[in-house]
Amino acid sequence: MAMAGRKGLLFALGVMLALLFLAGGAEAVPKCLVCHGKPTLSKTLPSGRVVSLFVDEKLLKASAHAGRTCTDCHSDITAIPHRGEIKRVSCTRCHFKGNPVGAPQKDIYVEYAKSVHGVAAAAGKTKAPVCQDCHGNHDIRPPKDSASQMNKARIPETCGRCHLAVFSDYRESVHWRAFVGGKADSAVCTDCHGEHTIRPHESPESPTYISRVPETCSRCHASVAIVGKYGIKTEQVATYGRSFHGIAIKYGGKTVANCASCHGVHDIRPSDDPQSAVHTENIPKTCGKCHTGANVNYAKGRIHVDPTKKEAGAVYWVSLFFKWLTILVMVGLVAHISLDLFRRFRRRGSAH
Amino acid sequence: MDTERQDTPVAQGGEVKVPDSLRRELEDEIRQAVEEELKEELSHELRERVVARLKAELVDEIQTRIARVKAELTAEILARAVPTPTMPVPAVREFERFGWNFRTQHMILLVSCLILILTGLPLKFHEARLSQLFFDLVGGVQMSTLIHRIGAVGLIAVGAYHLLYLAAFREGRRDFWELLPRSKDVTDLFQMLRYFLGKTDEKPRFGRFSYVEKFDYWAVYWGMVIMIGSGLILWFLETSLQYLPKFAADIAREAHSDEGLLATLAIIIWHFYNVHLNPEHFPMTWTMFTGKISEEEMRRHHPLEYEELVATRVIPPGVSAGIPALAQATAPVAADSPPPPSAGKEMPGAPERASP
Repeated sequence: MAMAGRKGLLFALGVMLALLFLAGGAEAVPKCLVCHGKPTLSKTLPSGRVVSLFVDEKLLKASAHAGRTCTDCHSDITAIPHRGEIKRVSCTRCHFKGNPVGAPQKDIYVEYAKSVHGVAAAAGKTKAPVCQDCHGNHDIRPPKDSASQMNKARIPETCGRCHLAVFSDYRESVHWRAFVGGKADSAVCTDCHGEHTIRPHESPESPTYISRVPETCSRCHASVAIVGKYGIKTEQVATYGRSFHGIAIKYGGKTVANCASCHGVHDIRPSDDPQSAVHTENIPKTCGKCHTGANVNYAKGRIHVDPTKKEAGAVYWVSLFFKWLTILVMVGLVAHISLDLFRRFRRRGSAH
Repeated sequence: MDTERQDTPVAQGGEVKVPDSLRRELEDEIRQAVEEELKEELSHELRERVVARLKAELVDEIQTRIARVKAELTAEILARAVPTPTMPVPAVREFERFGWNFRTQHMILLVSCLILILTGLPLKFHEARLSQLFFDLVGGVQMSTLIHRIGAVGLIAVGAYHLLYLAAFREGRRDFWELLPRSKDVTDLFQMLRYFLGKTDEKPRFGRFSYVEKFDYWAVYWGMVIMIGSGLILWFLETSLQYLPKFAADIAREAHSDEGLLATLAIIIWHFYNVHLNPEHFPMTWTMFTGKISEEEMRRHHPLEYEELVATRVIPPGVSAGIPALAQATAPVAADSPPPPSAGKEMPGAPERASP
């Protein structure tokens, strides 16, 4: 019994050591989660705001960072209890081009730093979003994953966390309703504003800058491949381009109507919606934003006019009349000139 | 018509009639010549075709010669016509066709249209790179619009003044009367077409204004009514839309754009041919700037007006009916006195002392 007892003890010790070794690699996860796995763990900031410090292990294991340890990101935590000021995680620790740890080989931070969010964050504005504000922290997934905060269906809500008023407008709009109704090509925030390259719309680099709005909208609305399948006409961009507004904007006009001036920005609705800015009843008010004294006459006639199409009504017939008048008159005049020259040169004996 | 020789071709009103006997004689001679020369080499069909072609060319040749001789003799007779001693001899070789009033209106019209066309076309053809360059040159599209409206003011002013001119000035009333379309203009056109096609050798004889000039005049009316009407709607758009539905403004835009192009084409093709590229006038005719027309050109282009002036020499100078040329022609002037003070600026190369 004494012999078996000593061997048993040694064996138990061995097993414990082995277990300890095995558990050694994963030691950090269970250790952090001892406290942070408790849903009630929270911290009260000096401002009075209460921040939850709970980390859901299930989310973490399902995320893109499942194979990482807590300290891979929270590199300034070296002891328990934590000492010193704990800073927000800086994702560029791994996420840069040429990184050796298997993160995507992209330099997105460079674009982000020039964007309106990056500039604000660098200037110390605490409300400006950094990576984790949009992408999440412990639940980061690739955008194609429907649970990702970056999935197209969840982008409005992600942006809407800060841009509340815009979000509530956008949710009533035709773009969101179409998306929810199954038109996956419909526009969400990033389709118009960009992702990491968001600029303020007063900047000429922004896709929503006044002169660039027609170009931005036309990315979808001039493409038969994109909107054609939803039965949306693509002539609107071309007809805008030939209008006085379109020409003036092309040549640098800054006070000229673009798509958003009439159709709205985040609250775009189809023209048959009584709340739409381009509904017949609302047209005088919409045009009246720039044209003083706009009355019901502004609604009597198509807004996007293509004079080469019969649906333009009287405009089509006038255009057709002038086309034929020009052709016939010029044919007649040129014929008269040609006959005149014919007679002159024939009499001089050249071979006509 | 003297027809003692039955077998000569007869010219009647520009047509040549070849009597049958002469025709047969000609045919036989031609046939004989052809047969002899080509009898063994060519087939019968080919010989017939040679005969037919020779016949046509000979008739054509005869017609040309008759016309030329007729023209030369006519010119000679006219040149020889000396006014009787009781009629004063016209000492000047030129007439004043257009007074300062008419010429100034044309100059303002010219400058205004040039400004309107240069600033209007880049808007119509806004996709063209050339349009972009133009806008850069003048300081932007807003500046171009401003210049366009300055031209518009010029056009409206000259249009309004012209209506006043037609009513209030004697030469204006005379010009209006002369410019009205008449049935003679239609027959003149057809005769001119026949002349072009070689069916006749007589050009139509025009009065003060030919059908070409009348067309140019009335086409400008048409153009100005449309361009000024639609232009004012577009210029004062917000005011217009107080009273007109939007589609009326859309129509105004189409009319303005399309008629502008038509007018531009008519000017640079038709009008520029008539006054610049026409081989008779190349490089240009100065009449609209100097007001002067040479006697020779008057007789060639406006023979009826010229003949009327000659005929009315018998009317005393006091009743000159407001024709400046007649007043000049009937005034007792010495052969080498200087031109009257109302004459326009002498342009280099003007046919001042042209000989017929």
